Amino acid sequence: MNVLIVEDEKALASELEIFLTGNNYLCETCFNGTTASEKIAVNKYDFILIDLGLPDYDGLDLLKEAKQSNAEAACLILTARAEVYDRIKGLDMGADDYLPKPFSLLELQSRMQAIMRRKFGIKNNTVKLGSFSIDLTDRTISHNGVMISAITKKEFDLIAYLILHKNRTLTRPQLSEHIWGSVVNDDYDSNYIDAHIKNIRKKLNVYESPDWLETVRGLGYRITL
Amino acid sequence: MKLQTKLTLFNTVSKLVIVLLFVALLPSLIKTINQNYTDTRLRKQKDKVLQVVHNKGIKFFIEDNEAYASYTPLKEEYVSIEFAPPNELLDTIRNERRAVEGDTIRYRILSHTFKIDKVNYLLEVAKSVNTIGETSTPLQNIAFEVLLSMVILTILADLFYSNYVLRPLSLIIKTKLRGQKFPNFAAYKKVQTSTTDFEYLDMSIHEMIETIERTFQKEREFISNASHELMTPISILQSKIENLFEQEDVSDELKISLLEMQRILNRLKTITKTLLLISQIENEQFLKEDTIGADELLQDVYDEISIRLQQKDITCEIQLPANVRLKSVNKFLLFNLFFNLVNNAIKYNKEGGTITISGQPVKGGFMLRVADTGIGISPEQLPHIFNRFKKFRQSMAQDSFGLGLPIVKSIADFHHVHINITSEENVGSTFELTFPDDLVGV
Repeated sequence: MNVLIVEDEKALASELEIFLTGNNYLCETCFNGTTASEKIAVNKYDFILIDLGLPDYDGLDLLKEAKQSNAEAACLILTARAEVYDRIKGLDMGADDYLPKPFSLLELQSRMQAIMRRKFGIKNNTVKLGSFSIDLTDRTISHNGVMISAITKKEFDLIAYLILHKNRTLTRPQLSEHIWGSVVNDDYDSNYIDAHIKNIRKKLNVYESPDWLETVRGLGYRITL
Repeated sequence: MKLQTKLTLFNTVSKLVIVLLFVALLPSLIKTINQNYTDTRLRKQKDKVLQVVHNKGIKFFIEDNEAYASYTPLKEEYVSIEFAPPNELLDTIRNERRAVEGDTIRYRILSHTFKIDKVNYLLEVAKSVNTIGETSTPLQNIAFEVLLSMVILTILADLFYSNYVLRPLSLIIKTKLRGQKFPNFAAYKKVQTSTTDFEYLDMSIHEMIETIERTFQKEREFISNASHELMTPISILQSKIENLFEQEDVSDELKISLLEMQRILNRLKTITKTLLLISQIENEQFLKEDTIGADELLQDVYDEISIRLQQKDITCEIQLPANVRLKSVNKFLLFNLFFNLVNNAIKYNKEGGTITISGQPVKGGFMLRVADTGIGISPEQLPHIFNRFKKFRQSMAQDSFGLGLPIVKSIADFHHVHINITSEENVGSTFELTFPDDLVGV
């Protein structure tokens, strides 16, 4: 997967590159709109991450160019200014997703994966965990073919997010950011994640102990596959 | 008291005082006028009599050495000529009593002596004092009536004029100072007036409003810009920490430190996000185009928050009419509002407590009530609970930074929803949100 990162904040661009490269993406980075515009015209990318606040270029213009010369590419807008009108405008112009800064790299990765699933029309996205099978598209969990309906929406979100980042320890702040993303609320650090995990375990234990859902002491949780 | 009332009252009182004073002085004035007039008439009559004496001789009046006297039938006037001692010289006008045919009457008498053929005569021309004064009372009454009606007329005219001339003032107060959403004022519209003072007042108020508006705008811009500026460095730090986590040679101890950093960063992020949200709401950057059932909205909040309820073993009852819909609202913001409200109700509740969410139509709209059985808010804290950054209940050591209620307030204001809070310590708090009629549909 080829990714073009257009981000004028060098430190952030470099972190994005480190992360995406570590996850087997091929990255190119440019720090200004002019270079990006040239690259878009010449190369083909699977993903273009565009920072809207470029000093020399209007990010939305860059998006327009990308849509013309790199029609196959999935464009994600990254910006500190995520006002409703910008968001609507960006999406209307063909952006595939919108990530307001500051975002978690894991969030970025799962959004990129979601876009890929949409693009390639993956219908049956089922993951096997012990005797459990989790359908990420239909959002269902079944045990030996028996549907488990007790799992709530939030609990499923948690499992799905852990599966997306399988074999990786996710910290409580990371999980919490994903789960409570849209709600601006007053608690910055609470143990609601632990409560959710406890509930999940209790509900799944009725069928079989979910050994694959691990607690990493002092850090967070992990699903090993 | 209104300025117009004051002016009218002053006018009325001052005019009445002048009129009463005038009416009271009227008798003595009339008396003086009458007396002067009578005196002049008496002198003219004297001259006429003397003329007759001169023309026709004294014998025309005095025959057989008898004094002459002539009365009008009602004895109101008389003329008399009689002999006077040779050395007496008189030319006076005085009030004196005279007995005329058995009646004693007060007369204004002109006494004049004259000599004819070395005989001294005394001429008296008189007019009864009663007849002089008798016009005084009717005149006084007429004057009083005429003046009183004039006073009433002028008061009415004053009232009408002051009403006309002061109308721009009430217009300025009504359109510029009251009923305006602070600090978002409507565009400047000049108040029509020909009074320069009001023009000046209107301009000054407008300038003042502009200054206030600019200051508020600056503050909002500052918060918005500062929050935006913070987003990039937070983003960089967050990415750095997440990348460090991925490195295989990082020890678990270091990871725990990183987690601690992540927590602090998350806190910073939430504060910044909250400030940005509030400034976006205050800058009216949200659309109000959604329609959602009240029960549906609260059910969403319940689903989101149920884990927190479970943890504190709190029962949450939702009793809402099924057919109430909230229209022209922002769903995301209202969700945030109720989420924070219910979240607070959980945070400050007792273990095993209850939260009751109910709704009912009220005059002018629909009221949603969130009541808890929590620790309550003390009366001295109650006026400050919507203050940004004013953190209370610190002794509770809650994971909170007191921005939940400012969010609630900003969102409610944005939707013109009125909030009323009642609270009793150790009993619980009730938040009543009244949605105006135009936001409620069935």
